[in-house]
Amino acid sequence: MINTVEKIYDTLTNTSEVYKVTYQDGSVKSVPLDEANTDYQAILTWISEGNTVIDNPPE
Amino acid sequence: MALSRIDTTNMIEDVPQSKLDNNINFRNIIINGDMSIAQRGTSTSSITGSDYHTVDRFRTAISSLGTFTQSQSTDVPSGQGFAKSLKMDCTTADASPSASDQLIIQQRIEGQNLQYLKKGTANAESLTLSFWVKSNKTGTYVANILDNDNSRQISNSYTINTSNTWEKKTLTFAGDTTGVFGNDNNTSIELNFWLGAGSTYTSGTLQTSWTSTASADLAVGQVNLADSTSNEWYITGVQLEAGTTASDFEFLPFDVNLERCKRYYEKSTDYSVDMANGAQNVTYGGPGSWVAFNTSNIRTPVIYFECQKRATPTLTIFAGDPAISNGNMGWYNGSSWQDGGNSINKLTAKGFYGTYNSNSAFGQFNAYLLTINWTADAEL
Repeated sequence: MINTVEKIYDTLTNTSEVYKVTYQDGSVKSVPLDEANTDYQAILTWISEGNTVIDNPPE
Repeated sequence: MALSRIDTTNMIEDVPQSKLDNNINFRNIIINGDMSIAQRGTSTSSITGSDYHTVDRFRTAISSLGTFTQSQSTDVPSGQGFAKSLKMDCTTADASPSASDQLIIQQRIEGQNLQYLKKGTANAESLTLSFWVKSNKTGTYVANILDNDNSRQISNSYTINTSNTWEKKTLTFAGDTTGVFGNDNNTSIELNFWLGAGSTYTSGTLQTSWTSTASADLAVGQVNLADSTSNEWYITGVQLEAGTTASDFEFLPFDVNLERCKRYYEKSTDYSVDMANGAQNVTYGGPGSWVAFNTSNIRTPVIYFECQKRATPTLTIFAGDPAISNGNMGWYNGSSWQDGGNSINKLTAKGFYGTYNSNSAFGQFNAYLLTINWTADAEL
């Protein structure tokens, strides 16, 4: 079960291609924004259920 | 120099043509059907959730139907050439499944590997499934093939006749002239071995011809492997092939089998080393170094996978030294390992890199030793 999802930014390009996902069992995974990835599919479902991705772009 | 005549005296003349005429190599659609590869480990206990637990490519789909230990077993049918099987051992029973409960061992197959089946055309190929199975729980079991692209299914039942005895089963599924498989890297076929099901999946009619998927038809008559903690179920030699007859199991060399599995899951440690935080494995002090591109940020080199993945994988990091927090990378400051966080900036099907930010801790363009362990998961 997903607990939080956070956008990870590349500090050189200020772009984000990876989500850092924390699960309720405490495990952490890096999930790509690739619709063929089953964990990303689960995140899209999680977002569609009203959850929000943490987005703190570098200043 | 003049050409001499070829001496045919000792040449092989009787090549068995019957074994060459139909896709003999890699005819088994199932990957790791002999259960020989188990990168994640050889035993997982207390299984109540769906995931890949031990044997590569074989997923457990479980929903509130008992608790199981899954293992890669050495109990195999005698004299058949197999060395490993997949074992499911019930450790907490559920003799009265709720309607939506299910327990399945399954494998999902990419559509681009199935185009030669010509599904959805007048020339659609039949499929034959063969496998060895053993259980103390005798009775009716269901195997089905789901077409994930077109929401279609076909099922067959088989019977485990004799308790605790290896039996070979062969099931043939007709070709389907409806519904073309997508030619891509997503799931087109899901092969399911049902081990238990609630009424949501058993209240209809078992469909032995291709039809639109209806949950009620999927596991009609299925016994409940979860009804006693005495229950065990073993399987090996799973082969799914085009045609209406089962050929001998297609054994592949260990290294070939492992490489095929790595398309879906790979780990940084040696094959026989289970992934764990704090373990100082091959990546201890390697495979490259962080480089500080300014005084606040260090970046890992691009770390390449041994095998390109099916899709961009999910990456999980494991600490490469006990001094580093679980799940984080580490960098060496000249006297001790320091925590390097777990910010992965770039992931592709071929590799990844990460960055660690720390205010003014680094000398610009200095290099620092890196330690990291990882798994890359691109399973279907």
